[in-house]
Amino acid sequence: MIIPPSQIKISLITAPEFNLEYLWWLTILFFVLAVTYLIGVFIIRNKIKLKNSRTKEKKIEFSPMINEFLFYEDSNTKEEKMNYLNLKIQIRELIKNTFDRDVLTEVLLDLRKDLSGNSQKVLINLYKDLGLHHDAYEKLRSKKWQVVSSGILELTTMEVEDSYGLIIKFINHRQRTIRKQAEIAIVSLKKEGVRYFLDNTKYKIAEWQQLKLLDVLRHKPNYTPPQFALWLTSTNAHVVLFALRLIKYYSQNDAEQSIITLLMHKERDIQAEAIECIKDFHFVNALPTLKLVYPKASHDIKIAILDAIGELGTIADVPFLENLQRTERNFNIKSKVIGTLNKIDPESILPTTNISSPDFYDVEGEILDHVNDQEIIDKEVLKEETILESELQPEEIKKKDALDHIDFNFLPDLIDEDVVKQSNQVVITVHDLEPDHDLEEVLSFNFLPLIIDETTFQDKDQSTEQDDFEPIFVLNDLPVEEEHIDITIGQQNGASDININNLDGSFLNKKATNKGEIKNASAEETLISFENERVSFSPNFMCQEELDAMVLLENISELGDCRELLLLYQIIEAHSSDVVIDRANELIQKFSYESLRPGELFSENYNLAESVFTDVYHLADHETKLLLLDEMMNVGDHKEIHLLEGILDSTSKSLVKKATKVLEHIKSQTSVATEAPISTLKEDFFFKVDFELELNEPTEYKGTAPINNGYTLFDQLCSMSNSLYNKING
Amino acid sequence: MGKRVLLADDDQLLASLLNFRLKKGGYEVHHSANGKEVKEYLKNEMPDIIVSDIMMPYFSGIELIDYVRNDLKSKTPIIIISSAGNEQNVLTAFELGANDFVTKPVSPTELLVRIQREIYK
Repeated sequence: MIIPPSQIKISLITAPEFNLEYLWWLTILFFVLAVTYLIGVFIIRNKIKLKNSRTKEKKIEFSPMINEFLFYEDSNTKEEKMNYLNLKIQIRELIKNTFDRDVLTEVLLDLRKDLSGNSQKVLINLYKDLGLHHDAYEKLRSKKWQVVSSGILELTTMEVEDSYGLIIKFINHRQRTIRKQAEIAIVSLKKEGVRYFLDNTKYKIAEWQQLKLLDVLRHKPNYTPPQFALWLTSTNAHVVLFALRLIKYYSQNDAEQSIITLLMHKERDIQAEAIECIKDFHFVNALPTLKLVYPKASHDIKIAILDAIGELGTIADVPFLENLQRTERNFNIKSKVIGTLNKIDPESILPTTNISSPDFYDVEGEILDHVNDQEIIDKEVLKEETILESELQPEEIKKKDALDHIDFNFLPDLIDEDVVKQSNQVVITVHDLEPDHDLEEVLSFNFLPLIIDETTFQDKDQSTEQDDFEPIFVLNDLPVEEEHIDITIGQQNGASDININNLDGSFLNKKATNKGEIKNASAEETLISFENERVSFSPNFMCQEELDAMVLLENISELGDCRELLLLYQIIEAHSSDVVIDRANELIQKFSYESLRPGELFSENYNLAESVFTDVYHLADHETKLLLLDEMMNVGDHKEIHLLEGILDSTSKSLVKKATKVLEHIKSQTSVATEAPISTLKEDFFFKVDFELELNEPTEYKGTAPINNGYTLFDQLCSMSNSLYNKING
Repeated sequence: MGKRVLLADDDQLLASLLNFRLKKGGYEVHHSANGKEVKEYLKNEMPDIIVSDIMMPYFSGIELIDYVRNDLKSKTPIIIISSAGNEQNVLTAFELGANDFVTKPVSPTELLVRIQREIYK
């Protein structure tokens, strides 16, 4: 059947039919609404403006009258007194009008804030004389909370004590603003107001409100505070807290036992305030309670307790703190414990972190040995000189004294070879004289003293001391002052051998009369040679293999970590060079204590073996604890079991119920996981390093490396976060 | 004829009250409600003492001191009225050359004594 084209309706394309008449009506409606709104705004604005203008005019009108009242004195002239009476009549007539009364009240309240002294008192009396406080009483009967509140404020500002009885009924008003205004009113209006307030208030006293109340009490003239310890037994925890603060402020230290008892209060704020009081009043008797409370206290309270123990504690408290130092896992608290220990017993705990072992400073011992040797030699030389002097005859002594007065500076320095020999330690040999040397040149110097040009010697010394140059070849690590020269010159096959201990740099500037080369006794290579009266140096190169190993070790030192331990042991095995072995040992030592091994990391002695929720859970409130349990359900594993078992002992039924559920869930998860083929998850599989380190000779490690788990803490943490992420995202 | 006091305060009620008290104390008082008026007045006439609130529209008390001391090079005593807790402003005022200050709430009698002391110093 064919449908004629005229009957086909394309409803989706056709525009919907709309009655234009409705559109016009809607437009008119919105227009009318807009105009009404604008007119309304205009009228209200004008009304407010008019009222403000009238108020301002009235204020200007009232102002001189009030001034007259405020500064009226009995000593005024008769004319002024008449004027004052007329004004009083005039103002009484004016305040019959409600608006005028309101304006006058407003003016007086404004001036009350700006004036002090006698003017203020006069102003308050004027307010009462004119009976304006009756309007405030009326306001107290209003059903609008803001009107009631303003009425209380007015009566408080104008210090209408008679209103006290009317205001106290608002102290437990359900409307917070009225309640707070009433609290301030009764505390400020009468001295006993604070007692009534603390006795009767049932609601929370906010921190800001406490400050305001304290401010009111502070500014009360001739105020004698009551014994606030009376309210430490209040059932309202906020009253107890406020009372504690007032006790602290007014230093009322006669409630020692009550304050100590409050250490065991369930409210943390009260505990904290009690600790502050104990510290301020130095209640030493509180120490046992502080220790008793400590284990179950929150993080902040623990810190506060430690602070208090630091203030009050004695040596007797050290064992308690030492025990805490061992058992406490939280970093902040542990630091505080250490701080407290050192506060009680100064320097009982010394820095330990990043402190090198004494072995590291063995070099210092060597230096000390050298210094001691030097001292012994000096003493011996001095002794010999003294003995020689004592052996001199009187005539010789005279000659010697005469010689002492002669200046020998013009002469070159002469050093007796024997003396030099005695003080020698390291032997340096000069030999390998060229075979073609003449016999005259190859001389034995045994019979000659060593001659040093003084100026050259001094110059060299000065330059060594003044300039911070670094020698290219360090012949000895020891300071120049501690070095001694010992030269033995002998003849062997036409060659002279000079043995020098601890070659001094200054010695190199001395004029050597023979050609020779100085050799280090411990090394075969030539280091220094004397040719044509000049000194030349020859470097001592490492062999290629040794050099490669050292380069590799330096790279490992810079970039490596504990995974390189295996390689380091291999290097030690492969090389015989002392330098290489020493360096490798240094790196092994460095990497060995650099980080914990994964095995150690998750051992029972380490934090990560325990649930990450532990600390957060113990600090959390009830709702948060429930949320944390939900999270444990989602992401928890066997580490949470210990925590969950602990929660089962909790008094909260909801927590126990949820914890039981989570525990069952985790246990079921754990059992499934243990059934999985673990063998496939070998560490080697994950942490296998697919690269080969470049070594000249591939070496095989034969010894036993201390750690076989070749992955770092960072890797382990990364894998942890990944597993956590996978759990969360299914 | 009494000594001339320039009273600069935007609070009409307080200014009126102080004006009354000072007049009663024998002073000739000129009141300016904002900084502009103060400046205009000072261009034409220099009073014997200036009493100014620190917080004023257009021209604060601090600026007024600076203007009097540095632009007009006048040594006319200046007493500043400031709110309690406005310590920094008071210190700045003293640095710029204010002679004295009183804090709100003000005792008119005390202010009168301070004015007398500054004028007859």
